[in-house]
Amino acid sequence: MLKIRGISKSFGGIKATDNVSIELKPNSINALIGPNGAGKTTIFNLITGKISIDEGKIFIGNNNITNLKETEITHLGIARAFQITNIFPTLSVKESIKMALLAKIHGLNNMWDRFSSHSVNEEANNIAELTGLKKVYNTISSELSHGDQKLLDIALALALKPKVLLLDEPTAGMGPEERWEMIKRIKELWQKTKMTVLFIEHDMDIVFDIAQTIFVLQQGAVIAKGTPKEIKKNQAVIKAYLGGGKK
Amino acid sequence: MEIFALFDCIITPACLISQTAGGLKIGMLLFLVASGLTLVFGVLGVINFAHGALYMLGAYFSWQVMSLTGHFGLAVISGAIGVGIFGLLFERLLINKVYNADLLVQILLCYSVILILDDLVMIIWGDEFLSGIGVPEVFQVPPLFIFDAIIPPFHIAIIVISMIVALLLWIIMTKTKFGKLVRATAVNPRMLEALGVNTNVIKAGVFMLGSFLAGLGGALAASLGSVVSGMGNSIIIESFIVTVIGGMGSISGAFLASIIIGMARSFGAVAMPLFTDGIMFLIMVLVLVMKPEGLMGKKK
Amino acid sequence: MAFFKKDNFKRDAIIGLIVWIFLLIFFFVIPSPGIHDIIQKVFILGLFALSLNILIGYLGLVAFGHAAFFAAGAYTLGLFLQSSIVSNLGSLSIPAAIISAIFISTILAAFIGAICIRLKDIYFSFLTLAFQMLIYSIILALVDITGGDQGLMGGFPKPPFLGIDLGKPFDFYAFTIFISIITIVLLRQLIESPFGYGLRMIRDNPDRPAALGFNNQRHKLIAFIIAGSIAGLAGSLQALLDVGAYPEWAFWAKSAEPLFMILLGGMHSFLGPLMGAFIFEILNDFVTANTRYYGLVLGLVILSFVLGLRRGLLDWLLIKFYRK
Repeated sequence: MLKIRGISKSFGGIKATDNVSIELKPNSINALIGPNGAGKTTIFNLITGKISIDEGKIFIGNNNITNLKETEITHLGIARAFQITNIFPTLSVKESIKMALLAKIHGLNNMWDRFSSHSVNEEANNIAELTGLKKVYNTISSELSHGDQKLLDIALALALKPKVLLLDEPTAGMGPEERWEMIKRIKELWQKTKMTVLFIEHDMDIVFDIAQTIFVLQQGAVIAKGTPKEIKKNQAVIKAYLGGGKK
Repeated sequence: MEIFALFDCIITPACLISQTAGGLKIGMLLFLVASGLTLVFGVLGVINFAHGALYMLGAYFSWQVMSLTGHFGLAVISGAIGVGIFGLLFERLLINKVYNADLLVQILLCYSVILILDDLVMIIWGDEFLSGIGVPEVFQVPPLFIFDAIIPPFHIAIIVISMIVALLLWIIMTKTKFGKLVRATAVNPRMLEALGVNTNVIKAGVFMLGSFLAGLGGALAASLGSVVSGMGNSIIIESFIVTVIGGMGSISGAFLASIIIGMARSFGAVAMPLFTDGIMFLIMVLVLVMKPEGLMGKKK
Repeated sequence: MAFFKKDNFKRDAIIGLIVWIFLLIFFFVIPSPGIHDIIQKVFILGLFALSLNILIGYLGLVAFGHAAFFAAGAYTLGLFLQSSIVSNLGSLSIPAAIISAIFISTILAAFIGAICIRLKDIYFSFLTLAFQMLIYSIILALVDITGGDQGLMGGFPKPPFLGIDLGKPFDFYAFTIFISIITIVLLRQLIESPFGYGLRMIRDNPDRPAALGFNNQRHKLIAFIIAGSIAGLAGSLQALLDVGAYPEWAFWAKSAEPLFMILLGGMHSFLGPLMGAFIFEILNDFVTANTRYYGLVLGLVILSFVLGLRRGLLDWLLIKFYRK
């Protein structure tokens, strides 16, 4: 579904991304792991078009999305949730999800309907159910708990009905129980929507439990890829992590 | 557009020199005021829109001291120091409440202070124009003739004083410990606090310095013209323009921009007497469109 | 009652109509010209402030140069009605003049907006101010056309149209309030539409919309243009009221007025700026009747709002009594 072929990116002489190739099969759930500073978020930024690629190509399906604009890439089926929640503080959960839905179908230029009674209400409802946000549906985003804010971030991404969903550290800042809740939810989401998911994660137990394929990044380069079993035995990975794992 | 008048002026030494001198005078006086504004912005992150009101206070204070003592030098210095002290109070009581606030809040706060001060000076000193503090005796001499251009020596004195102040400012900012602390506060105040430096004192000091400069500008303006409520309202716009063109926070940028604006006004008055101010705004528009961070500013 | 809960255009239009009729009746019940004058001014300035709040309150863009469009509308109307077009158009003159005023300020807003929108934060604010002062200088310089610092002199005719004679106080009162209310109801629809929520989205998080496939810049520009047109309309009404146009309306201090109103009334409620215009006018009238030191009083009031209340009156009232 998503093919990344040999992409590289340098910032002022430092190679942040070094000849990275990743292939995600349709309907798969994958993890991107690596020590801090390895360049995981940079890769997300390169995929979504937030920063430009120096070398290499990216394809989604048969579409070459290398260096397209961010807005164009979202229309081609890639959606992303952020590491630091990136939501709309004064809007409620309901309003935020509706906004995301309308943004995708260009309904935001509509000046004649009333937003509150707009037809996307039903779809918004569905997304809220999928992500378990129904109970806080009318709460203002800034008043949500940290976990719910992260779910909202994901909900916004889902509104784009993406083929590929990128999740940047979805369990960051959570305690162990909350983490598993979140991951369970993500797994359910994935199973129900049949998207292709790639998530960045530090908690190794979680990664080994739910990811089908794992990509290991170190200093901007992929040093290993494979199933959880294979990765556990991979010497290079063990060396890179030297005591890394549970955060 | 009197383009021929401009051309004529440039090829006539007398006109060229007198307009250049005039431009320098306007520019240097403007620099005194604008440097305070850009300094305060650079270190404190506050756009002190009331800076022009401080200028006005400098004029009134110096007038008051002049009418009490008749001594020019004392009047000017007291005016400047008086405003410096006022600035300190202003910073401690009001300005520090809006350090991290929205631009809108800062502007509204400062504008309310302008409104209050403009009326307060009328209550204290009356509504009428006050005649200026005049030129000190030593300068009450016939004008100099340079290539037939008539140049009052006092104007040259003002240019020289301003340049000395600019030099002193540069020395303080780059060579002294205070200057180093100030520049460090502008970049990373929290780091400094962690190192045990009291940044509140530095901030207050910087604001005092900026106010002193505005007051000095006002006091000197009082020697060149009359003193009246609201006289700060046009200088603030010009200082703004200079600060933006030069680069917000850059004193050397303010210096360069002041000279440009001074010359633009001086020669602009010859070429387009009805549109002189417009030239300044046009320059501001062009700079903001082409290089928003200003001539000497750094891109964020 | 469901009528008061339902949020739709029809309801707002009916409320607008009721208010208008109420104010018409008010004209005869309380026949004081001073009070009628205040009401008219509150609506005209209210329109001006409401238009600015599209940018400040809903979009989060602090525009310092908004009075440029107010002045453009005023001068356009004045010049139109002073010109010989009036003898050709006769009774269509005033509607045509108002439409021209809106048209010119719209074009101006499109031009200025396209350039300013590209900048962020304070640079955006300063550039709008620079453009406004540039226009001010142009108005002063073109003495032959605009009358320079004296303003548009000699007045202009106000030919009756559709049975309305703007020379008569009641007609002018009814007309001004009618136009204002229509504009306010339409603005309300805009703000509560998906477009309006797009504005809030940009204000809350300017970077996120791109990740949702949404182009900010065009949205901002359209909002800027609409704000400019409404300001132009307000300016044209002001020109009709004063039978003239003055360069002060293009000076930076004029842009501060709607800012005060937004501060006094509140930027987070739709009608906040209108309430602010009301407070501002009342203050104006009351203070100038009792003392010469209007600036002192206004300054103290603003200071107390900025440091004390920290939000506009309508915002504060709504939070106190209507917290969801």
